[in-house]
Amino acid sequence: MHANDAKALKQSLNYPLYTEKNTEAYEVNCPTSIRNNAAGSGRASLIKLTNVWKIYQMGEVDFAALRGIDLEIYEGEFLVVLGPSGSGKSTLMNLIGCLDLPSKGKVSLNSKDISGLDESELARIRGQMIGFIFQSFNLISTLNTLENVMLPLEFQEEDTTRARKRVEYLLEIVGLSDKKQNLPSQLSGGQRQRVAIARSLVVNPPIILADEPTGNLDSKTGSYILEFLDGLNKKEGKTIIIVTHDLEIIKHATRVVYLRDGEIEKIEIREKSDFGE
Amino acid sequence: MALNMLLHSKLRSWLTIVGIVIGVGAVVGIISLGDAMEASVQSRLADMDLSSITITPGYSRAQSRIPGHGSNDWGGNPTIDAKLTDRDVDALGGIEGIVYAAGEISGREGVSYAGENATLSISGVDPQVWKYMKSLEVESGRLLEPADKYVAVIGSGVASKIYKKNIGVNQVITINGKSVRVVGILKEEGGFEDRQIYMPIDAAVNLITDAEKGVFDSIQVKAQNVEVVDTVATTIEKKLIISRHIVNENDRDFSVIALKAMAQSVTTMLSSMTLFLGAIAAVSLIVGAVGIANTMFTSVLEKTKEIGTMKAIGAKNRDILMIFVFNSAMVGFVGGIFGVILGVLISALFPMIGMTVTSGEGGAIPSVSPGLMIFGLALAVLIGVISGAVPAYRASKMKPVDALRYE
Repeated sequence: MHANDAKALKQSLNYPLYTEKNTEAYEVNCPTSIRNNAAGSGRASLIKLTNVWKIYQMGEVDFAALRGIDLEIYEGEFLVVLGPSGSGKSTLMNLIGCLDLPSKGKVSLNSKDISGLDESELARIRGQMIGFIFQSFNLISTLNTLENVMLPLEFQEEDTTRARKRVEYLLEIVGLSDKKQNLPSQLSGGQRQRVAIARSLVVNPPIILADEPTGNLDSKTGSYILEFLDGLNKKEGKTIIIVTHDLEIIKHATRVVYLRDGEIEKIEIREKSDFGE
Repeated sequence: MALNMLLHSKLRSWLTIVGIVIGVGAVVGIISLGDAMEASVQSRLADMDLSSITITPGYSRAQSRIPGHGSNDWGGNPTIDAKLTDRDVDALGGIEGIVYAAGEISGREGVSYAGENATLSISGVDPQVWKYMKSLEVESGRLLEPADKYVAVIGSGVASKIYKKNIGVNQVITINGKSVRVVGILKEEGGFEDRQIYMPIDAAVNLITDAEKGVFDSIQVKAQNVEVVDTVATTIEKKLIISRHIVNENDRDFSVIALKAMAQSVTTMLSSMTLFLGAIAAVSLIVGAVGIANTMFTSVLEKTKEIGTMKAIGAKNRDILMIFVFNSAMVGFVGGIFGVILGVLISALFPMIGMTVTSGEGGAIPSVSPGLMIFGLALAVLIGVISGAVPAYRASKMKPVDALRYE
C-alpha cells in the first residue's frame, strides 16, 4: 500500500497544479498581489515576526516558550524550522499560522499586523492564506475524502459546483480519484496525508504550513510527500514552511531556522537559494 | 454536508433520539386524546338545551353529579324526606327570565308488551311544556299533546331493543296493568333518553307507585336564553329558600342545577385534565432535552480536535456554532418525526385497549390533526436547538490552538 502511495505521488508530481482551465475556474480567495508575486519574482516579505514573545502561565510561574523571535519569511521560500521538542517550534507554528496571538511583539502577514484582529478575521485569513498539514493528518473522521477536501471551500462559502470541480481536480493530482467516498479510517497513512495535502491546497493559498508532516509516515512515503511539497514550491511558487525535528527534511529547504529554548540559534541558507537576511 | 458530520447513526444519537420520540409521542398522543374528548363532550353539549334548569329535592354540597345516567334519579338526596310540590312551581311564577316551569315525576315500573316484561323508566311530564323543554325529535308519530291521557312517547331503545318484537306507533303497551297507547317514537339520541317512556303527568301519577298528585320528583325550568340562566338559577334559589321557609343553610332541602353550569364545569375539568396529562408528557420532553444536551456536550468534547482542525482550515466561530446547533436540531427533527408517528399510534391504540374516550356510541375517534403534527415536529426541533445551543456555543468559543492540542 505504501509503495503504491509513493508511486502515485511520484506520478502526480508531473501534473501542473493549476492548468489553464483550472486557474480560470478557480480565482477566489488568494489576494492578487500575492498570486502575481508567487511566480518567484523576488523577495517580497510574506510573514514578519518582530520581537515575538509567547509566555504561558503555568500555575505560579510564567514560562516563556518564545523569547524575542525576529524572523521574516519571504514568498517562494521552503523554510524549515528545526528544533528539539520543547524548543518552542509548535508555538512558533501556531503564531505563523494565525492560530494564536503573541504575548508580546508583532506578527505581520502580508504587511498587516494580525495581533489586533478578532477570531473571525483570523479564521478568514487562515482559510484563505494558509494551507495546514498536520502530523496526525487531522481529517474529519465522519466525512469522506471528497467532503474532507471540500470543507475549507465550504467555510469560504464557495459555490458547490465550482468547489466540487476543484476538489476532483486536486484528488486527481494526489492520486486519490478512486477513493472519493472512503472515510479516513478506510485509508492508509500515506493516503490520509495526501487527502490532507489536497485539503491544504484546495483554496489555493500562498502558504503551506506543515507540522511534522512525515512524523507518522514510513520513510519512503514521507520522502515522497516531501518531494511533492518540494514540487509545489518549485513549480507553483508556494511558500512552504515546515516545522520539524527531522534532519532529513533539511535537504529540501532553502533556509533552515534552528530553534532552541525559545530563541533562534542560527539561520542557515541552503543550496542556490537567494533568500536570506 | 459539513453539517452532517456528527450524526453518523451512532447508537448514542439514536438513544438520544428515543428520548425525544417518547416525549413528543406522549405530548402529541395526549393532546389528541384531549381534543377528541373535548370534541365529543362539545358535540354532546351542543345537543343539550343549555337554557334549562332542574330543581330537585334534597341538597348535596357536591353538585357535580351528572343527572339521569342509567336511572330516573334526577339527583337529590333520597334520605332527606323533602318534596317538591305545586307550591314550589307557583313560587317560580313571578321570576323574570323563566319561560316555562313544570313539575315532573318519574319511577321505574313494569312494562309489558307482547307477553314480555321489563322494568323501565317512566317520566310523567306536562304535555304542554314538555316539548319545549327538551330538544327531542320524533322518529315516527308525534309528541305528547295537552289532551293526551294514557298515551306515551317512547325512546328508540324501548321501541327496538327491549322487546323481541319491535313496538310501533299506535301499539299498546301495558304499564302496571294499565294499557297505554304509543303515539310517538323518539329519534335515537345515544343516551339514557333512548330507554325512557314519557307520559302526561296526570296519567303517570296513577301508574307510578308512590306518586302523589301535586308532588314532583323534579321541576324543570326553561330560561329565556342561555345568557340569563345563571341569574335565573340564583333567583330561583333565593325564591325557594323564602317560600320553603329555610332559615339555615344546613336545612336547605332542594337543589338547583343549571345544565349550563354543569356543562361548563365538565369542559373545564376536561381541559384541566388534558393540561395535567400534557404537563406530565412535557416532563418526558424535558428529560429528552437534557439527553440531547448531554449528547451534544459529549460530542463537543469528543470532537475537540476536529473543531480545532476546522478552525485552522478557516471555520469561523459562527460555522462551528451552526454545525452543532444544526446537528442537535436534526436530532430533534428525526425524534420529532418518530415522535409524531408514536403519538398517532397512541391515539389510535387508546380506543382499542378499552379506553373509550366517549360515553356511548357515536363518539369522536381521536385523530392527530395536521396542525398538531406540525406542532409536535416544531416542538422537537425547538427543543433540539435549545438544548444544543449551550454545547454549540462552547464549541464555537474554543481557541484553535487549545482545541488542536487536545487528545
